[in-house]
Amino acid sequence: MIVADYSRPFWPLFLHVLGAMTTVGGILTVVVLSYVAWNRPEAAFLRRATFTALVVTIPFYILLRVFAEVMYSDEKDAFAGKDPTWVGIGYITSDAGFLILLITIGLAYWWKRSEKPVAGRIVAVLSTLLLLMLTVAMLAMSGKWGS
Amino acid sequence: MDKTQWLLMLHIAAAFCLVGGSTAAAILNALAVRSERPSEAAFLLKLIRYTLPLIFAGVLGTLLFGLWLWHDLGFGFGTGWIWAALVFWALASALGGRGGRDQEHVRQAAEKEAAEGDTMSAELRARLRDPKALAVNYAAGVATLAVLVIMIWKPGS
Repeated sequence: MIVADYSRPFWPLFLHVLGAMTTVGGILTVVVLSYVAWNRPEAAFLRRATFTALVVTIPFYILLRVFAEVMYSDEKDAFAGKDPTWVGIGYITSDAGFLILLITIGLAYWWKRSEKPVAGRIVAVLSTLLLLMLTVAMLAMSGKWGS
Repeated sequence: MDKTQWLLMLHIAAAFCLVGGSTAAAILNALAVRSERPSEAAFLLKLIRYTLPLIFAGVLGTLLFGLWLWHDLGFGFGTGWIWAALVFWALASALGGRGGRDQEHVRQAAEKEAAEGDTMSAELRARLRDPKALAVNYAAGVATLAVLVIMIWKPGS
């Protein structure tokens, strides 16, 4: 039963998991860079690097989100209209997370251009929040919470 | 959640640590390669150390929980896809370690140049873009991807 829960067509699951893992790596990079930059507000290269890391994360996030939807479309009938908890957590995280990612990119651009430390600090806080949300979603989906 | 679900969750969490940490290290390395000054390259390469605890936890966790699941799910000793994944896991770990040592040598060279005027020399630029070192890093990434492919595909099961 459990093995069946984790058995799905290869490509959508592979691309979803690959997107999720690389998204976590991209956001982790942003967290490291933005907190290091917190104490080095004069370092322009850290502001540029943070913005670049965020932009690099977009295709990873799209991979995660698109193939999550592909799998859900194929499997939603099996849930009979009552999505398990892990699906709900995945949806909330991926939709709210994408909004947070876009806001963080906007703030990182503002930080890069204006050099205002407060923008960098908001980027650090938002990227940490996003990393925590992704971690909870990953645990919920891999543990199949509520199924 | 029963024991098997716990083990699967921890195994997958470890895989996220390994691939997520490796991705972060790769992004920091790529940013260092594009740096304008040796001090910036050295600093970005130094930040890779923050990803190492995650990568090490991922390497150990995937092996530990993977072996435990092997036993728990009752797969036979001769299950080919698990052995193939173990081979690629060992290859990825070895190549990742080698790539990390190369990066550390480049970081030391960048710090030396940073202390001597902070102007990027052609030699340091070439070391940052060394095709052999890049090939080792790419090979480590491909081996890690191969483990992921095998784990999801489970050929023959």
